[in-house]
Amino acid sequence: MAKVMEVKDLCKTYVVNKRQNNVLKNVNFSVEEGEMVAIMGPSGSGKSTLLYAISGMDRATSGDVTFNGKSLMGMKEDELAEMRLDEMGFIFQQMYMMKNLTILDNIVLPAMQSKKTGETKAEKMKRGEELMHKLGIAEVADNDINEVSGGQLQRACICRSMINKPTVLFADEPTGALNRTSSGEVMDEIVKLNREGTTIMMVTHDARVAARCSRILYIVDGNIKGEYDNSQRLAMEEKEAERRLNQWLMELGW
Amino acid sequence: MFLRILKKDLKRKKTMNIILLLFIFLASMFVASGLYNVISVVSGTDYYLDLAGVPNQAIITMGDNVTGEIEKALKNDDRVEELKIEEVIFGAPKKNIFLENGKEAEAKNTLLFQSIDERKLNYFDADNNCIESVPEGHVYATGLFAGRNEIKPGEKITVRLGGLEMTLIYDGKAKDAFLGTDFMGNTRFLMNDNDYRKMLEDEVIYEHLRGEIGYVQVKDGENISSAVSEIPGVAFNGERDTLKLCYVIDMVIAFIVLVLSICLIIVSFVVLKFSINFTIAEEFREIGVMKAIGIKDRSIRRLYIGKYLMLALIGSVIGLAASVPFENLLMKSVTENMVLGNDIGFFVNIIGVCIVVVLIVAFAYHCTSKVKKSSPIDAIRSGQTGERYKKKTIYRIGKSHVGTNTYLAFNDVISSPRRFTTIVISFFVCTLFVLMLVNTTNTMESPNLVETFSSKSDLYVEDVADAMNLMNGGGKEDLVKSLADRAQQLTEEGMPAVTYVEIAYNCKVSFAGEEHIISCQQGVNTVTTDYKYLKGSAPANANEIAITPSVSKLIGAKIGDVVTIDFGEEKRDCMVTAYFQTMNQLGEVIRLHQDALCDWKNVASVFQYQIRFTDHPSAKEIEKRKERIKELWGNDKIMNQTEYCSDCIGVVDTMKSVQYLLLTITIIVVLLVTILMEKSFITDEKSQIAILKAIGFKDRDVIRWHIFRFGIVGLAAIFLAALVSIPMTNLCISPIFGMMGASDVKYRIDPLQIFVIYPGIILLTTIVFAGLTALTTKQITCRDTANIE
Repeated sequence: MAKVMEVKDLCKTYVVNKRQNNVLKNVNFSVEEGEMVAIMGPSGSGKSTLLYAISGMDRATSGDVTFNGKSLMGMKEDELAEMRLDEMGFIFQQMYMMKNLTILDNIVLPAMQSKKTGETKAEKMKRGEELMHKLGIAEVADNDINEVSGGQLQRACICRSMINKPTVLFADEPTGALNRTSSGEVMDEIVKLNREGTTIMMVTHDARVAARCSRILYIVDGNIKGEYDNSQRLAMEEKEAERRLNQWLMELGW
Repeated sequence: MFLRILKKDLKRKKTMNIILLLFIFLASMFVASGLYNVISVVSGTDYYLDLAGVPNQAIITMGDNVTGEIEKALKNDDRVEELKIEEVIFGAPKKNIFLENGKEAEAKNTLLFQSIDERKLNYFDADNNCIESVPEGHVYATGLFAGRNEIKPGEKITVRLGGLEMTLIYDGKAKDAFLGTDFMGNTRFLMNDNDYRKMLEDEVIYEHLRGEIGYVQVKDGENISSAVSEIPGVAFNGERDTLKLCYVIDMVIAFIVLVLSICLIIVSFVVLKFSINFTIAEEFREIGVMKAIGIKDRSIRRLYIGKYLMLALIGSVIGLAASVPFENLLMKSVTENMVLGNDIGFFVNIIGVCIVVVLIVAFAYHCTSKVKKSSPIDAIRSGQTGERYKKKTIYRIGKSHVGTNTYLAFNDVISSPRRFTTIVISFFVCTLFVLMLVNTTNTMESPNLVETFSSKSDLYVEDVADAMNLMNGGGKEDLVKSLADRAQQLTEEGMPAVTYVEIAYNCKVSFAGEEHIISCQQGVNTVTTDYKYLKGSAPANANEIAITPSVSKLIGAKIGDVVTIDFGEEKRDCMVTAYFQTMNQLGEVIRLHQDALCDWKNVASVFQYQIRFTDHPSAKEIEKRKERIKELWGNDKIMNQTEYCSDCIGVVDTMKSVQYLLLTITIIVVLLVTILMEKSFITDEKSQIAILKAIGFKDRDVIRWHIFRFGIVGLAAIFLAALVSIPMTNLCISPIFGMMGASDVKYRIDPLQIFVIYPGIILLTTIVFAGLTALTTKQITCRDTANIE
């Protein structure tokens, strides 16, 4: 399968109160098309920083990230913004949306901003409705964002992230703010998207969530300490996959 | 601990706190200076007239053999409490005074020369000190003389009057409570007694140019009109209330300044209320945390009230200090002619800032009542309480026909209009006030008012020296001949024209048993049908007159009534056939039929000669002819309709400077409101900006969204103000013109200025400063989605 992303010697350093803090230290990995990769690690290990750096939301200090054959390091802010708009999708732990827009309008907003497809507004709206229908939230299309539950809102965020048919979907703790039931529903949708061909990179603390990914990167102190191949997960019970992953994580000191 | 929380708060929200402090400072400055100005202006005219010693009636006599007549008529009159008389020498506004560079000095109206030792009023210098003496060879000049001739203290002026030539050093401007107003327009030269005596040695001056000013304190409830009507050569007879009306223009400017202060106070408080409300709403998380750890509501409120009290104290102390120069700046245009003040002084300013502090604390107390509603859950849920709100989004992205950034801006305004109330109110109030003033100034310098002074002509010629000569030595026949000569000369020069003029007589008018001296105007070479009337029909014969509403009010006569007018040689009953309006004599005028025979000895004024070209030239051609006539007659004072109106009103320049000052202050307020609001919006919308950037919006998209939003709200407020300014000008300014005698004014509304230029300047300021402030959104990155509290 083709490589969607390649990360080489990625470093990220913050200077706080004149003190240098090396959050990422020579991180190397690659992601292939259709993969669903989870990034795990203890708090402060650099998971989110890594996700932001590889998605062009933040600049790395050194190293390189190649996305669809293009290096993100040399790109200008506007080019990065265009890439995020047309080729990437994002889901965050907090379900931030534009307060004065309905759920559907929030979902189609990136499509309206994008000039990628040349579709009409009506076609974009229709696509937004289809996505909502697919994720089972069609009935809240005309609701304001404070009129829906957290689970519905996060599914709306997934719809928004998918509206421009991105190559890769980046998710930062997508189930972190949800209860167990909602969390399961949202993960079902993300897995479904992956099965339909979308590459997914996800930061999570939850082993149950990570167990549904094809590969897990375990990061400690800014370094990838281990990599777990979970490609056999589909051939076994969900609980068994989760047990094996937990065992691997325990070995790494989780 | 509270102090530490406070310190942290002040540091963390530095920009918001600085802007809040700035607004407290502005509010304090506006309130303190505004309050001082209110008290000074309200009691202004009486304060000044009392300070100058002006009694309740003043009479001016001029002409041959009038000296001593006032005293003779009034000295032993029981109705008179006190009589003071100043002897003066009269001069023409042109050809009598020459500047150091040899140029002829210009004055608006008749000149008066007077010995400072013989003064009966108090005259003040530029620093408001009473002028007690003038050194020999020196002179002070009152009124508009210094401004018109750009003369500075220390420069020399030469007086050429009769056979006399005398050079004097100009010592500065003097304030004359009686004659120094723009409306009276007389310049009084205050000189050393020896210099004055030297002038009297000249025979022409002694015989023909002497006159008197009588200041009469009439007993309460008494009327001396009948006695005054016996005095020969009365050129002016006015009561103190009439004199006060002469300050109407100064007071108009003072009240403009005052209303401006009030507008700014309103804007300041609207913005303050918003800032306090907004900052408290922003604190919900901290408030929730404080509640969660057991701090009582009262203590939390005390913390925030303490913060605002501290800001209020700092801002108001600085504002108090700045209020003194600011009130001087605002009142400068008014105090050029007056001494304004009040008996309370700086204490007024202190009261003003105390009001601001109390109001801010009251606002803070009111706004912090929300603390009670804020629960520890707010801290835990970051303000998401799970509360359901009613639907608010009405403008859908799928149905919009604009770009995404514009849509977001429109949608914000439509969805939460209350958020933008502060901007709308501030911009609306400031713009409305600027535009009302623009309408007033434009009207004052437009030909719209020409018929409130005279009839419409192509050109107006001011030749006061000629008029003085005619008044003092000539007669109506000379005037008719002069007009004919001028018309012939113009025709010979290829400018066929008719020339005419209006003259005013002071006549005794009796109605219902009461006598009044009223200015009666009559056209020479014109007919009464040439003039406009408010009601009724133009006088058709010598026994008919038209009166102004002011005269009707004064004497009680109405259309159809018969009044008796003493024309000098005969008394005649005249029927009132019409009402008309005029700003001459503050509206107290009677229009006589052209055939009415008046005794020339009653003549009080010969107005500007008027020229109406009979070949109907274009406006451009009229301007060309104006220049040719200036050369032909050696007279710079040839005016078109606009210039004539501007000259008659006399305060257009002052009004314009007030207008520009107001525009500057408006722009400052608009930019401060814009910065404050935009900064607040950015703080409030940090998460939304971050998410927009994360999903691929560029910096410029976010900036455009914010600029468009301000543009839409600003445009709506400004356009609304432009629309409302037209009826509001009529509503607010008409009473002022009414006081000056013009009860029906057609305002000149310049659509370009009202709908394009001034709104454009204000809108541009808004957009530029919204854009500059929005640049700070560049600092918000998509990474901030993870850092937002």
